[in-house]
Amino acid sequence: MYLTKEEEKIINGEYGEALALALKVIVKVGEHLGAEKLVKVRHVHISGVSYSNIGDPGLRFLSRMVKRLSSNTSIVKNIYVTSNPTCIDLSQETRIFDRKLVEGQLLINSVLERMGVKPTYTCIPYVIRRPNIHEHLCWGESNAVIMANSYYGAYTNREGGPLTVMAALTGRTYYAGLHLIENRIARTLVSVNLPKVDDEYASLIGLYIGYNVNNIPLIKRSFTMSFENIKLMLASSAASGNHGLIVLESITPRNTYIVDIKDKISIDKESLEYFREKISSETEIRESTLAYIGCPHLSLTELIKLAKLVKKYRKVRKNVVFLITVPGLYMSLFNDIIELLKSKGITIAYGTCPVVSKLTFKPDIVLTNSGKACFYLNKIFNVDVSLTSIDDIVKVVMEK
Amino acid sequence: MRAFRVKTIIDGPCSGEPVFLDQKISFFGEIEPRTGLLTGRSVSIAGKPLIIPGTRGSTVGPYILYALKEYGKNPVCIIASEIEPILIIGCIIAEIPLFKLEDNYLELIDYLRKCKKPYIVLDKNKEALIVYEKKRVFDSH
Repeated sequence: MYLTKEEEKIINGEYGEALALALKVIVKVGEHLGAEKLVKVRHVHISGVSYSNIGDPGLRFLSRMVKRLSSNTSIVKNIYVTSNPTCIDLSQETRIFDRKLVEGQLLINSVLERMGVKPTYTCIPYVIRRPNIHEHLCWGESNAVIMANSYYGAYTNREGGPLTVMAALTGRTYYAGLHLIENRIARTLVSVNLPKVDDEYASLIGLYIGYNVNNIPLIKRSFTMSFENIKLMLASSAASGNHGLIVLESITPRNTYIVDIKDKISIDKESLEYFREKISSETEIRESTLAYIGCPHLSLTELIKLAKLVKKYRKVRKNVVFLITVPGLYMSLFNDIIELLKSKGITIAYGTCPVVSKLTFKPDIVLTNSGKACFYLNKIFNVDVSLTSIDDIVKVVMEK
Repeated sequence: MRAFRVKTIIDGPCSGEPVFLDQKISFFGEIEPRTGLLTGRSVSIAGKPLIIPGTRGSTVGPYILYALKEYGKNPVCIIASEIEPILIIGCIIAEIPLFKLEDNYLELIDYLRKCKKPYIVLDKNKEALIVYEKKRVFDSH
């Protein structure tokens, strides 16, 4: 692999042991993937930071990396580093997340912040810093990756957590995979025969594509979809499949992909309903119900929409925990909306989510509008999950 | 006995009675790092070669491989048809040998199913995966 003089210096240890090790690993991964060089990245998003997911082994791995950091790490100064949600509610106000994990998590957080990570703690880094078209990134977190490539026209692979840490330290990643236009070729044309796609159908379409399409899809623009629903759809595909890019006709910026269709599939209401029966339970309240919105974390628009929806209701019903999750960075923001939601009995957790944490109770059923949450919560809790719309969730779990 | 072409991604030993899957796997959510068990099933990957079509889902996957190694429940090696960056970085930090299957995945799986108790080894040059119908006593591997 071709390395610049500076990169050779890093590998030779002139910037310390941690950077040398990190770059060696990036080079090794890159060589396996046919990279001829490295590429500088402006924004790194680190995934794999939840103590409940990575445990003590992960904490030890991160601590070892940071211990080796020397003070001479000036090369990474102009890089923006964000981090995924962790397993604790940063406001510490909610009681539904396991508090035994706080200590371990705070250790991880301090290690991350020593590396220069901004305490954003969210899975939607694209809302915190909008990626530029053609910009090279090194992002973990599958929903963030697919949004960066498909919506913003930036270039990133679906990176594993440890590689994002190494990119944050060195400011570089390998130049292969989705960093190259010749690997961004849409092969399957997907027609969606629905006039309008709401949140529930966005999730269903996403999961369906994740399960059924094995290459890069191109979705024909025959329906309208909001930013929020695109976010839900893409997150779902990246969970049930391994998609890093789905070309969205007239949304994905031109010149960031190539079209060479080899396959076609069409999705209609009937096929989605048939698919739903296989993956989702009926929407109902049981003895212990978790209603969950915020996977991926809610943007401001979604918070406002939810606030409008719940205004006409008095409060959340008994036996229901109505949880929403938002970026850690929102902690002191949007207080009027947050207070309104809280006054209705809605639980708001900052910088975490049920997928990356442990809950203090086991629900009998989870109601969610997120295909991604549906995919993971079903596996993690071994519990029935009902995939439905935000409107229906509010109707079912709140009383007037 | 049948042989299938493989390419070495991360070198190391690779033999045993394999666990093989039809579907791509998300290490996070689909494997218990402390036990090596596949979630919701009584099948353990600990100490066995793991044969998969590829990986999917969470980018936390590499840490799960790392944790499996720390808890001593890691697969001895992984043979995958499709190699994602997530899988490579996971195998590097967890020091798990990784091989890419160059032949058709379905053919391999079909053959493994036909075998009563399949046992795999790699040839000397690590260019072929050899599947025996059962473990051969005289095998030096």
